[in-house]
Amino acid sequence: MKHDFNELRLDRVTRRFAGHGGQAFNALDEMTLTVRRGEFIALLGPSGCGKSTALNCIAGLLALSGGTIHLDDVRIDTLPPERRGFGMVFQNYALFPHMSVAKNVGFGLKMRGVPGSEIASRVMQALSLVQLTGQEHKLPGQLSGGQQQRVAIARAIVIEPPLILMDEPLSNLDAKLRLETRSEIRRIHRELGRATIYVTHDQDEALSLADRIVVMKDGVVQQIGTPEAVYAEPANLHVARFMGYRNVMELPVAGERDGRVVLRAGDSELCGVRKLPLDGGRAMVAIRPEEITLAGSANDVNVITGRVDNVEYGGRDSLVEVVTRDGTRLHVRASGRFEPGAEVFVRVPPERVLVYPREAH
Amino acid sequence: MAGRTLATRRAGFDAALLLVLPAALFMLLLFVYPFLYGLWLSFEPKEGGWLANYRHFFTSTRLWPTIGTTLSLAVPATLINVFAALPIAYRMRRPSRFRRTLTALLVVPITLGTVLIAEGMLTYFGPRGWLSQFLQAAHLYDGAIRLTHNYWGVLISLVVSGFPFAFLLILSYVTGIDPVLARAASTLGANSSAQFRYIYLPLLAPGIAMCFCLAFVQAFSVFPSAVLLGAPAGPTRVISIAAYEAAFEQYDYSLASAIAMIMGFVQLAIVAFVLSLRGWFYKGPVGGGKG
Repeated sequence: MKHDFNELRLDRVTRRFAGHGGQAFNALDEMTLTVRRGEFIALLGPSGCGKSTALNCIAGLLALSGGTIHLDDVRIDTLPPERRGFGMVFQNYALFPHMSVAKNVGFGLKMRGVPGSEIASRVMQALSLVQLTGQEHKLPGQLSGGQQQRVAIARAIVIEPPLILMDEPLSNLDAKLRLETRSEIRRIHRELGRATIYVTHDQDEALSLADRIVVMKDGVVQQIGTPEAVYAEPANLHVARFMGYRNVMELPVAGERDGRVVLRAGDSELCGVRKLPLDGGRAMVAIRPEEITLAGSANDVNVITGRVDNVEYGGRDSLVEVVTRDGTRLHVRASGRFEPGAEVFVRVPPERVLVYPREAH
Repeated sequence: MAGRTLATRRAGFDAALLLVLPAALFMLLLFVYPFLYGLWLSFEPKEGGWLANYRHFFTSTRLWPTIGTTLSLAVPATLINVFAALPIAYRMRRPSRFRRTLTALLVVPITLGTVLIAEGMLTYFGPRGWLSQFLQAAHLYDGAIRLTHNYWGVLISLVVSGFPFAFLLILSYVTGIDPVLARAASTLGANSSAQFRYIYLPLLAPGIAMCFCLAFVQAFSVFPSAVLLGAPAGPTRVISIAAYEAAFEQYDYSLASAIAMIMGFVQLAIVAFVLSLRGWFYKGPVGGGKG
């Protein structure tokens, strides 16, 4: 067991499961990823996308059906979990219900044969890091959900693992606690500088925590990139949908102008950026609600006329649904007051209209 | 609304509780009354003072050693059953087709009953039984095999009838423990035996104690196999045989009741002792957090 490493390399890691009717399917399909020292990686995707499978493969809780995992030059995918020495935080905490908080946190050290006095001091240190000093004699059942998850984090970091694995650690917490614990995880990562792989289905969590995000779907990696890249330049329509591009519509392609794709939207035109080679006469357009602004008049590029259909007040701004003349529904995030039925002009900067080929069905 | 309904229900009387009445009545008529009647009867001896039966039991060399005889059968049988069932159930904690098959197979001895098991064992383990014939034919062992009509016959029969019960009970405790706990332990460096020792065993301890009690009570009241497979006149003259003889050979119901009371008291003492040990163990839920 090493205390630190330079690179964790996943090379075409595959995991097959027997599906319904004996049909095997790849829960994880040839995942290739390199995690560098100290990096915070988020595996992001909807449920069933293979992100937890990937994490369990790295932890050693699932055997691989194909591919290899190397920690620097040591092959680790053949080692049992107890010999990999990664710290893992589980979605349902997985605290040992019969052990006190201190015993839970000290368990990994005890398994490593660390002397009792050292265990005690390191446990206290870890508990103060997660701000749970004074709770060490309680049983997990006497703590709140947020406290239990912090015990689980302390238990995973006290062994000073080279890599920390987190499997949706916040999804059982309520909204307020989730935000608090999220900041806590960010702070702990900054203080310890340990490489972390964090599984989540929440893009806000991934964006706010990660150095790099791995977006997955159906066991296949869709995009690996910084939060900025994944947010602004989704590699494909699936990533765009997942990153909050709520307006996705299919439009006929009219041609090209100044390196931009021109599409027909009812009786007006929409210019956009081509992200992937297009095929055929129709294309998919993805626009984020935040990127649409309200224009004063129809005389500008990329302005569409529509009618306010529904308004959801959201405090700082509102989510306005605008129906265009040809019946397309657009989600717009805007501040100000809107009356349903009013005619509005909406405008999107051409560089924020992302154009993708049509999805194969 | 929901809150108020809950509050009223908690404060007031829940009519659904009336549903326990038939069962309570049943218990009263078929268990509590006969027990109290037996207790009263045991203090009404044929001759002598009200404690004469008990004095007789503890002074007669035909009676008081039956406690030891019964314990010498019931305690080893229970220990074998519980501690053989534990590792097997632990190995089978993950669901599999194999587990379903074995579970179904193990239910069979429970449904057969002790008499049928005794019949089978007489045929199989007897001096001219299949086991003996096989060993002699294979020249593995030529001496006489005496596994029936003695202590060992009764012990084997107690294991055959008691093991499936202990196994199924412990299996249900083992599978009730969230496997994610063992996975968490493994990521912290615990190998398979450490996972058992630090995670499963402490969480199973109360269940093992309960299983021990139930298996012990079952073994302590051994009667048919002690008669059919044992030596009821000597080494396997268990306490229930003594009670039977008093009641149906000497027609001394009063003495028989006293023996039954002593039998119940010994069982109760052992069960109370084992359950009191549970106080040492963790007794809460065996999950790892939110489900």
